[in-house]
Amino acid sequence: MHRCNRLILFVLSALLIFGPMSLQAMQKEADTIDELLTMFDETGCMECHDEIHNEWADSWHAKAVVSSLGSIHNFIEIGIKKEWETEVTKGQLLKCLDCHAPVVNFASEKLAVEIAEMIVTATKEKGKPAGDAATKELAKLKVGCLSCHNIKALRVAPGFNGSAEEGMIYGPHGEDAGDAHETLQAVDMTRSAFCMQCHGIYTAADGETIQCNTISGSYQNAYVAQGGSQTCQDCHMEKGHLFPGGRDLETVQKGLGFDVQINPYQHLPGKIEGVKDPAKWVPSAVVTIFIENKTGHRVPDG
Amino acid sequence: MVLDVTARNLKETDPEKQVMFSAQKNYFEIGRDLQGRMRYGAWQIKETVDLALQPMQKQKEQYLLNFDTDVEEVEIEAILSYYISGGKGDVVHTVKETLMFDID
Repeated sequence: MHRCNRLILFVLSALLIFGPMSLQAMQKEADTIDELLTMFDETGCMECHDEIHNEWADSWHAKAVVSSLGSIHNFIEIGIKKEWETEVTKGQLLKCLDCHAPVVNFASEKLAVEIAEMIVTATKEKGKPAGDAATKELAKLKVGCLSCHNIKALRVAPGFNGSAEEGMIYGPHGEDAGDAHETLQAVDMTRSAFCMQCHGIYTAADGETIQCNTISGSYQNAYVAQGGSQTCQDCHMEKGHLFPGGRDLETVQKGLGFDVQINPYQHLPGKIEGVKDPAKWVPSAVVTIFIENKTGHRVPDG
Repeated sequence: MVLDVTARNLKETDPEKQVMFSAQKNYFEIGRDLQGRMRYGAWQIKETVDLALQPMQKQKEQYLLNFDTDVEEVEIEAILSYYISGGKGDVVHTVKETLMFDID
């Protein structure tokens, strides 16, 4: 009986120690972008989720690095090098890429610096072979499936949630995916706080604040605080994983009411200076315009 | 986000004299650094001055337009445009109305 208990204790201890490992504990650091993409292989996702994949492929998440090359280049060349007079490091680069390409969290220091150099080359040599090659390589980096469904899935509340497990797929419902992959529910993904990890003022590990956009502050302080109840996902996932926003005219039109009232009248003669005949009534109008912001945040925002 | 309001005299054939009234209002955020200077770099901006449209609010703009005493027909146009970046603006909403005045 004693031996049996010891065996159970041993097995339980082993499970606790070697069981589902967190990403931080398990992941090695990649030395190339391809190695990074192998560590977070998303090629199989579209086999079952082709519709979602197609929506995402047209989204700005799918080009989160190459669509922001100019801004990230400026941060590297002007911010880090010129103004801060400091070295380009992984920690510095993550001030952009923790959101624009979360897999870079698992890049080696050497690879992160190479990525920074590629961003500079892609911008400075745009339209030239070296620039185009750099852009092509950088296009592999993006806000991909695992950026949200693994890397960032539990990061809203790491104290409560712990870290994401290597290889686990987190979803809002935790539906069983059969043999395809293991799934765990992360209700966080249904909450605005999940999106706010990146769509708001970003605080880097060293405390630096980066204001690419400030949208979550407006959402919290001017929308929810006034009684608003919609989540980011309620509006920005109406077209699934396309996540339309300010770049989608239909979404912008839907978010802004425009009521124009034009009220003509004849102004009293002799009261308006500079008219041709001061004795005549003056054709006039009062134009009143109401612009209603029906979104859950200020418009515009970054 | 830009609101443009324009009034045109449709009987006027000279394009330069056609516009009798125009007004423009911008809704935007001013990013500033800790020295109070306006900045565009995300790493430079530490505070914002918020001149944008606020959620769950209706922004009211009102204009009084007085035309000349011989103006019979006026086209008034209000355009709301969204500038996602730099100079590229998309028209979000537009309203155009023609007014007729009895000038006798």
